[in-house]
Amino acid sequence: MIGRFLGSRGWRRFRRGRLAMASLAVIGVYFVAAVAVTLGAVSREDTKMRVGPNRLPGFLERINAEKRYDFNKWYVGELSGVFGRAQRAGDEAAAREMLGAFALAERRMSGAAPSELFPVYETMEKAWGELDDALAMREDLADERFVLRAEAAEQRASGADASATEARLREVEERLSEIRPRVEELYREVERAIEVLLPMPEGLRGLVYRLRIGLGTDSKGASISSQAVYSVKIAFQVGFVTALLAVLIGTILGASAAFFGGWVDHVVLWVVSTLSSIPYLVLMAVFVYVFQAPSLAKWFDNPDRPGLGLVPLYAAFGLTFWIGTCRVIRGEVMKIKELEYVQAATALGFGRFSILLRHIIPNTAHIMFINFSLLFIGAIKSEVILTFLGLGVKGQPSWGIMISHGADGVTNFFFWEVGAATVFMFVLVLAFNIVSDALQDAFDPKHV
Amino acid sequence: MALLEVRNLVKHFPVRGGLLNRVQGSVHAVNGVSFDIKRGETLGVVGESGCGKSTLGKTVIRLHEPTSGSIRLEGQDITSLGPREMMPFRRKMQIIFQDPYSSLNPRLTINGHIREAVRFHGVADAGSIDDCVDDILLKVGLRPEAKHKYPHEFSGGQRQRIGIARALSVRPELVVADEPVSALDVSIQAQVLNLLTDLKQEFGLTMMFISHDLKVIEHFCDRILVMYLGYVVEELHAEDLDEQARHPYTRALLGANPVDDPDERRPLTVLQGDVPSPYEPPSGCPFVTRCPLAMVRCRQEMPPLEPKEPDGHPAACWAVEPKSAPAD
Ligand SMILES: Nc1ncnc2c1ncn2[C@@H]1O[C@H](COP(=O)(O)OP(=O)(O)OP(=O)(O)O)[C@@H](O)[C@H]1O
Ligand code: SF4
Ligand SMILES: [Mg+2]
Repeated sequence: MIGRFLGSRGWRRFRRGRLAMASLAVIGVYFVAAVAVTLGAVSREDTKMRVGPNRLPGFLERINAEKRYDFNKWYVGELSGVFGRAQRAGDEAAAREMLGAFALAERRMSGAAPSELFPVYETMEKAWGELDDALAMREDLADERFVLRAEAAEQRASGADASATEARLREVEERLSEIRPRVEELYREVERAIEVLLPMPEGLRGLVYRLRIGLGTDSKGASISSQAVYSVKIAFQVGFVTALLAVLIGTILGASAAFFGGWVDHVVLWVVSTLSSIPYLVLMAVFVYVFQAPSLAKWFDNPDRPGLGLVPLYAAFGLTFWIGTCRVIRGEVMKIKELEYVQAATALGFGRFSILLRHIIPNTAHIMFINFSLLFIGAIKSEVILTFLGLGVKGQPSWGIMISHGADGVTNFFFWEVGAATVFMFVLVLAFNIVSDALQDAFDPKHV
Repeated sequence: MALLEVRNLVKHFPVRGGLLNRVQGSVHAVNGVSFDIKRGETLGVVGESGCGKSTLGKTVIRLHEPTSGSIRLEGQDITSLGPREMMPFRRKMQIIFQDPYSSLNPRLTINGHIREAVRFHGVADAGSIDDCVDDILLKVGLRPEAKHKYPHEFSGGQRQRIGIARALSVRPELVVADEPVSALDVSIQAQVLNLLTDLKQEFGLTMMFISHDLKVIEHFCDRILVMYLGYVVEELHAEDLDEQARHPYTRALLGANPVDDPDERRPLTVLQGDVPSPYEPPSGCPFVTRCPLAMVRCRQEMPPLEPKEPDGHPAACWAVEPKSAPAD
């Protein structure tokens, strides 16, 4: 089956399209990511674990002075918390244990003896205190300079003697220029101490940590990149299961309707036209609501059974998405059943089911294939929409959850959470659309 | 006893439409056709496009449900047998189609096509199915190694040979060949016709050979049915075609003037205009709209298919003298 597909003319035509092949490679990368997540490369704990300060920007954003202060303050605060407790613990072993428990993912507390770490911590505390003072002082001096400048200008304008004011202004400016390198020095001192206490891990672990914070952290300090990658798995699960379900339902119903005709056709057409007269988002929401009935929610909306959490989505999408496939397959089977090879099979005496299975359904494979790729992407997009509305994925990361959580960050100019989810989804959707288009062209029966 | 006896066979296709998809009328594709085919004989069916030749052929082998009339194969009435009772007769009646492209399933190999037929009807026992497939492929002039290929890897002529192999693989008694060469290049037509002639000999086939080309029919068949708008208008032996054809339509197909033409200087008849729609057939003689001899009577009364002078073969035309009953 696969060998024949790879040897087919449609596939050869498809392979000639560079963009389509590139998109296929992109989908391949996503697929590998989904598999890796399933195998445990990124766990659900990874996506919730604190890996740094809240709303740490990704590597691509330069950290300004204000944020530098905030983030250092955050580290100092966290570290003084543990060290405070460790010092109060009194005995060395308890202190070591307490310190060892503190970690930001791969970035763990230095393994050195507490007696070595305490002095570093104290220097950091001291430097931070000094830094605070220096910054307050700098602010005062800057205010004073502003006032003095205005005063001097006024005195000069009115012809009064401004020399006293100017002398004071010079003195203020001198002290300010002394304070600036001092602030920088104190910052570096604090950061060096943080680096000693919480050393950046070396080698692979270092790389992993850098990847974790590479796209920044969310409002709880959890890794955005881990969530975005974990969501690939959720998206593939939802896309694959629902597209498979919908294509199967659509093909079976559409082919039966066209092939058997009569009341089968009437019933299928009635269901199709009834369902398609309801906006699909409403329909899906209804299906999802059904699963929130208390007796069902016990199973499907339960943090202890995360594996079943997606079942409402599978059901809602699977029961909604088959309609389009059903229509197309019905039309195609109407055409195929009149073809002469079907008549030849009838003339040979084959039963209707065996003709349906052997001669008709296999010849709709290209339609099933294209519909699968369209529905796959449709399911992913709908999952994000429903999740954003609070009806979809719960208790696991998903691009929809990231977008809805990140939405208030956007008003504070923190785009990383929403951005990462959007870009991850956009690239996948784009690649899939290009591939579907190319498939449609390559497997168009007009050429085959 | 004739192998196949068809009596008053009628096939109407309902035409649906309108708001509630009601039946609004019907296409009269075949209207009361009767004929026999003797074992080993080849019956030709000729007529212009749309005159119901394919419908007749497919109704005879029960690919279409007959509207009325009867079909007997080897004396057994098969007109209204259900699918299960029909099964033993399916093997005995096969069809070769016109279009070498749509007649093969693009997703099955040649082996898949023929093997399933051979196995289904138990033509060969399980161990010798492969030999049986190879054998039939050799007989239609294909290399047995080609059987693992898919239909698109073959040319039109080769595909037609595959279609023939599929039909003959179950050793049928009767083969309906529905314009088996019309879709092929002229050079290949002759090859396939020669192949059919050989196979007819070898398998002792009885055939119903459908074509719109009188020359092919005359060459290939023993007896000829001339059809027009679902009616048989003349039935005669192939060797008598040139001399004895009397019906104006047959004459026109032959490119000759009617025999009993009162106007001797009339230019050679060429069929003009279209065949009337079988949805609204004209009253009286179906050929009246195009017949050079049409009379008032032709519009009012349908001419019966009755023996004509001089040799007594049947034709349906008011202008042709019926054979007088022999005097007692
Ligand atoms: N399945 C069908 N449903 C409705 N009408 C049909 C069907 N099959 C054939 N007809 C109609 O019956 C008439 C006879 O068709 P048929 O195919 O038997 O003609 P034909 O003599 O074989 O012509 P051709 O030389 O084009 O093959 C045509 O008017 C056709 O439109
Ligand atoms: S019956 Fe009349 S219309 Fe019909 S073929 Fe004869 S002469 Fe022509
Ligand atoms: Mg035909």
